[in-house]
Amino acid sequence: MVSEAQAPSLPATSKRRTTGQQAILLGSKIWSWLFLLMLVFYFSWQGTGFFSLRNSQNILVAIVPIVLMGLGQTFVIIAGGIDLSVGWLMGLSSVISALVIREEYNAGVAPWLAIIQGLLAGVGVALAAGLINGVIVAKLRVPPFIVTLGVSFVARGIGFLLAKGNIIAGQPQLARDLGNESLLYYVRGEGGGWYFLKKPDVTGAQLRMMDRVFTWPVVITFIVVLVAIFILHKTQFGRHTYAIGGNREAALRAGVPVDRHVILLYMMSAGTAGLAGVMHAWRFSGGAADAGDALLMMSIAAVVIGGVSLFGGQGRVIGTVIGALILAVLQTGLIMINVKTFYQYVIVGIIVILAVLMDQARDLIVGRAEAAA
Amino acid sequence: MFKKLLLVTVVLALAIPLAIPVTAQDDKPKIGFLPGVVDPFYQVMELGINQAVKDFGLEVVTQFPESWNVTVQTPILETYIARGDLDYIIIAPVDKEQMIAPLEKALEAGIKIITVDTFLGDGDYENGLVTFPISYIGSDNVEGGRIAARALVEALGGKGKVFVENTNPGVSSVEGRAVGFQEVIAQYPEMEFVGMEYCLDDATIAAEQVSAVLQREPELAGIFGVNVFSAQGAGNAVKAAGLQGAVQIVSYDATKDAMENLRNDVVTMVLAQKPYDMGYLAVAFAMADWRGVTSLPKRVTTGFAILTKENMDDPEYARFIYQVP
Amino acid sequence: MEPLLSVRNLTKRFGGLVAVNQVSMDVHPGEVVGLVGDNGAGKSTLIKMISGVYQPNEGEIYFDGKLAHIANPSQARDMGIETIYQDLALAGNLDMSANIFLGRERKKRYLGGLIRVLDEKFMLQEAQKLLQSLDVHIPSATAKIDYLSGGQRQAVAIARALYWEARLMIMDEPTNNLGVIEQAKVLDLIRRLRDQGVPVIVISHTIRDIFAVSDRIVVLHRGRKVADKRTQDTSTEEIIQYIMGARDDYHRN
Repeated sequence: MVSEAQAPSLPATSKRRTTGQQAILLGSKIWSWLFLLMLVFYFSWQGTGFFSLRNSQNILVAIVPIVLMGLGQTFVIIAGGIDLSVGWLMGLSSVISALVIREEYNAGVAPWLAIIQGLLAGVGVALAAGLINGVIVAKLRVPPFIVTLGVSFVARGIGFLLAKGNIIAGQPQLARDLGNESLLYYVRGEGGGWYFLKKPDVTGAQLRMMDRVFTWPVVITFIVVLVAIFILHKTQFGRHTYAIGGNREAALRAGVPVDRHVILLYMMSAGTAGLAGVMHAWRFSGGAADAGDALLMMSIAAVVIGGVSLFGGQGRVIGTVIGALILAVLQTGLIMINVKTFYQYVIVGIIVILAVLMDQARDLIVGRAEAAA
Repeated sequence: MFKKLLLVTVVLALAIPLAIPVTAQDDKPKIGFLPGVVDPFYQVMELGINQAVKDFGLEVVTQFPESWNVTVQTPILETYIARGDLDYIIIAPVDKEQMIAPLEKALEAGIKIITVDTFLGDGDYENGLVTFPISYIGSDNVEGGRIAARALVEALGGKGKVFVENTNPGVSSVEGRAVGFQEVIAQYPEMEFVGMEYCLDDATIAAEQVSAVLQREPELAGIFGVNVFSAQGAGNAVKAAGLQGAVQIVSYDATKDAMENLRNDVVTMVLAQKPYDMGYLAVAFAMADWRGVTSLPKRVTTGFAILTKENMDDPEYARFIYQVP
Repeated sequence: MEPLLSVRNLTKRFGGLVAVNQVSMDVHPGEVVGLVGDNGAGKSTLIKMISGVYQPNEGEIYFDGKLAHIANPSQARDMGIETIYQDLALAGNLDMSANIFLGRERKKRYLGGLIRVLDEKFMLQEAQKLLQSLDVHIPSATAKIDYLSGGQRQAVAIARALYWEARLMIMDEPTNNLGVIEQAKVLDLIRRLRDQGVPVIVISHTIRDIFAVSDRIVVLHRGRKVADKRTQDTSTEEIIQYIMGARDDYHRN
């Protein structure tokens, strides 16, 4: 071990950070958690029914599509890209999956098999679209903003065409159950309690005492989130994602297969959006081309609030989940305190900008101070 | 470490099962109103709701979705359910199929449903696909479409090409209007239906679509705008092309914009719905149900006021213009 | 001693311009060769041919006594020729061990290789060992490269090349944009590399640094080699004259 004193050590550029810098560094890491907590406490105190099992489940159900679209987006943005096609790809996937399920089901295929076929078709189409995004971005060097915007319009058109400008309904009950039933049930009041994997046999007035805990889309999303955390933070694939976003040229020279990687990222992004579309079709018993229209910007907001830098190279999966939770808590909370939800957009807009400012403050004040020493 | 601690706290805060018993009910129901989107039609409906709520001494919770989409309306609905204090939800479902499952959850939670303006399934709550709502209160939209078509046929002297500017697919109200319209047009051999576009409740898109159709069909003689936004867009496109008078427009919804178009001969006829009545009646139905009335009709049509340039200043008709304070 | 790298009559033309003209030079194990010359003298073009970025129009490159055809940079790297450009090619958002192992990450395998997890601990330990062997001390081993000083970054780039068994190191302006103390430290690193048996070609505009670190100095002027002298046998003034074109050991006018 070479001690700092005798070795011709490099100048002490990494000298102790000042308290102010440390505060900013810590603040930039945890402000979103604190903000979320603050919202939860405020709405629990002020809102009717906010702090309840049922509402906690509502919030989880509400973030499913935002988180799913945000996950792939997190990877893409960390690698320095952006994917604007996920909104309408979600709609296209919901239409295709619902179409396949309806046709197969009507042709006498068992519901579970039809649902699996629908899942494969919905996600498969999204993956194909992601492949197109990725190849054009990586190989033809068209800016991702343009490519994915273009694919988004194509998906939008095809979605409406396939659905003949309508909604694809006629789904089997099993699909609806998958979208709405849950892993656990909790029945309040006397004779109630927890039920695992089995819907309690309650009827009438007692039904209103029953809460669904962790509906299947929530469970599936939870698993996908875990997988995404693992991939981004524990594997070579994740490491390369950061490297490409940090310095594409360096990654290239280090032998990272950059083009192939970028293509895979856009496929992931489209794939998670496709999954969101398939689960939309389950939940609402139908596929709609415009299913994701209102969600794209929400998902990007969640990613940015979660601390993913739009300049690439930075961010974490859990941040995106927190970002989505903030959006959902805001929305439900405002309804609980009976304030117009339009304020949600004002608040979201402000925190999106604050989030980016926070990032830049950190890089400017902490980063530069250290680099310049 | 700190972050992990925070994570745990957040998870706990969100997940602790709080078995809050449903609060003791007083003798007045609490109502949630959930329109389809923010527009003058539903704002007038809210006036009716608020008036009735005041008359009956009730409480109401109202949220307007910012766009017409199940992914926007459903989270609001689910939060209404989670509040735990609502007894009735008066809703204009934004999709007749997709909103069934979310509304069934409200039913399970013990909340009764009244649909206004739009309905679920096929709208037959007696024997149809969906029977759980107390009632549908709204316009007879198929009939409204027929009225619009007849007005156009008359204005065009029984011949010419006509086009429909629609809003969203899968919505019972506007779907019915298009069906009724086409049904009547088909009875006239010299009338030709040249197509329908969806503007997704966006007046700008509606204007673009109608402009394009005016290019494609130089002989287009008439347009049916099925709601606030489609009519507004159609009016703007016709004005931009300098074709007012040459292309006849009939439209749904008596907004101020529509009235101005009526006065300036851009629009021939406006079908004013009665959103105020829908809102008021829905609350009255809720109150009646609360008081044990069992013979409420499953379907109530509120009718139309047919506004033309001639009658629009007559107070008897002018009161149906959508006035939002 | 056999030269590790031997360049014979290398010529590179870009259209009508002859960027490098019939240059021959040797690099022996355990020596630092300073490559100097004015802007446009052909230094960069010469090393880019050695590192596989450009293909020569004429001439041969011998590496380890064998004729080498270096078709691209990764082939050069496979042979053990590592080039550190001014931009260092580091990902600023990753820490030093992530950069050292970038593209060649060490993984732990589970379920028969089905699941492969980054072996962060191993990579961090290796990186620290490596930097210690170079006598470099980076207080926060997991700090992002962006938060390190220029000298520390240079050290990470050198460590990376060394870890992947560089046999010949080419460094382009390694002391540029560094403070005085850091310059000294980087020069010290170059000497240390030489002592570990890795020859180094250093390109620099700073004649003082070249004299401080090199064993031999090669001067290019308008694409030609004009001097190839042991550092101890020459002086700053003399080298400047070669750079200006006032002296030429190989071509008489």
